[in-house]
Amino acid sequence: MTNNKVKIKTEKLDVFYGQKQALKNVNLEIFNREVTALIGPSGCGKSTYIRCINRMNDVIETCKISGSIKIDGQEINNKQIDVVRLRERIGMVFQKPNPFPKSIYDNVAYGPQIHGLADHKDKLDQIVQTSLKKSALWEEVKDRLDEPGTSLSGGQQQRLCIARAISVNPEVILMDEPCSALDPIATAKIEELMEELKKTFTIVIVTHSMAQAVRVSQRTGFFHLGNLIEVDTTDKMFKNPNNKMTQDYITGRFG
Amino acid sequence: MSEEKRIVKSYEEEMQSLNDDLVKMGSLTESQLSDTIQAIVKIDKEAAENIIKNDAQINELRAKIDDQISTVLVKRAPMAIDLRTTISSLKISHDLERIGDLAKSVAKKIEPLPIDLPQELTGSLKRLGELVQKQLNNVLDAYITKSKDKAVDVWRNDEQVDDLTHIAMNEVANFLGKNKKNLELATHLLFVTKNIERAGDHVTNIAESLYYLIEGEYLEGARPKGKEFVKDK
Repeated sequence: MTNNKVKIKTEKLDVFYGQKQALKNVNLEIFNREVTALIGPSGCGKSTYIRCINRMNDVIETCKISGSIKIDGQEINNKQIDVVRLRERIGMVFQKPNPFPKSIYDNVAYGPQIHGLADHKDKLDQIVQTSLKKSALWEEVKDRLDEPGTSLSGGQQQRLCIARAISVNPEVILMDEPCSALDPIATAKIEELMEELKKTFTIVIVTHSMAQAVRVSQRTGFFHLGNLIEVDTTDKMFKNPNNKMTQDYITGRFG
Repeated sequence: MSEEKRIVKSYEEEMQSLNDDLVKMGSLTESQLSDTIQAIVKIDKEAAENIIKNDAQINELRAKIDDQISTVLVKRAPMAIDLRTTISSLKISHDLERIGDLAKSVAKKIEPLPIDLPQELTGSLKRLGELVQKQLNNVLDAYITKSKDKAVDVWRNDEQVDDLTHIAMNEVANFLGKNKKNLELATHLLFVTKNIERAGDHVTNIAESLYYLIEGEYLEGARPKGKEFVKDK
């Protein structure tokens, strides 16, 4: 695991929302084809951090970002970068499943279409099928592809969103509390899926469930009040963290 | 070590109660062992009977601790220091129980012994027994104060236990050498000596578990070894 190469390198990252500093001098390395979990109390900056990776913070006018984020050595935190192309490389799955008000098929086909990844129908069919298989949804929806995405159960909708994210063949998938609206079985299916997805993609997951962080990730970072307090292998973080603040947080002592 | 209390009060109480029961079990085991050493030195058969009877209390506490630990594991999914405390407590309670069993088994050997056992035999057993007893006392002290250094000291001192075992075994061998009719008695005494030494090994295990609890790492290197038993010429 330690031989793995760095996919995303963050250095001296500061983020301000107006006067309020949301991230303070964050230095973090995300490794290729691993699941990195980000934990910490609400408002600690973990979601702000992942939103920097695909430049989602651009839509917030008061947001000011300085510092460096490099993906495979390429700086993404500058004006020259093509944000649409960046978001094709960095997919995102949110807390609440948010399928488009379209058919199951169109939900998955939309991305490849707008990014011009399929020049004919057969190719598009193939992408839709592969994506749904990769997101472990194919068997459940193959006979009802033209039904609305919103007709699926919550867990299925979330897997549909994952299929949508991977349909454009991204390198990184960001997941912002992807299971917090799901029941334990649907959660287990997503976690099982992550195990499979990390063979192809680099995954960064924000989660409030420490048990989930332990189950799905190889590396964990702990944020508090905009600072990255500690990052290490998940095993080390949950058995024997170096920082007292990390220990106090994960053992439920945080005041 | 974290001094802050947990946000969930009942979790705090569960861990405290686990700690209290482990300390209680430690002190019970310690007095069983010390009573056993005194009983063997004095060939006190009445005390031996009490020791045999009292072992049940240690076993009951171990069962209670096992139960508390499974509850904490399933209910709290403990992490970091809490995880290590839970795992180490499980191991320590089992080592304490084994020490209790060994004390009981030594006590059972007192019944057939004559009251006029040669002084050099009781003397070497006394020294060995008192050392193991001191080791147990020190490791429990280290547990209460969560002292890594004290745990390491206990771990290192096992070498002395091995050396005193070696001396005691030689005394028994000499005793047998003087008269082959002593065979049955000598066999009893060898068991007694070996059991006290094994109690010492369990003390060392406790020191290792405690070290893991405090440091989150395992004590490195092989445990120091004293001389193996070879009859002196």
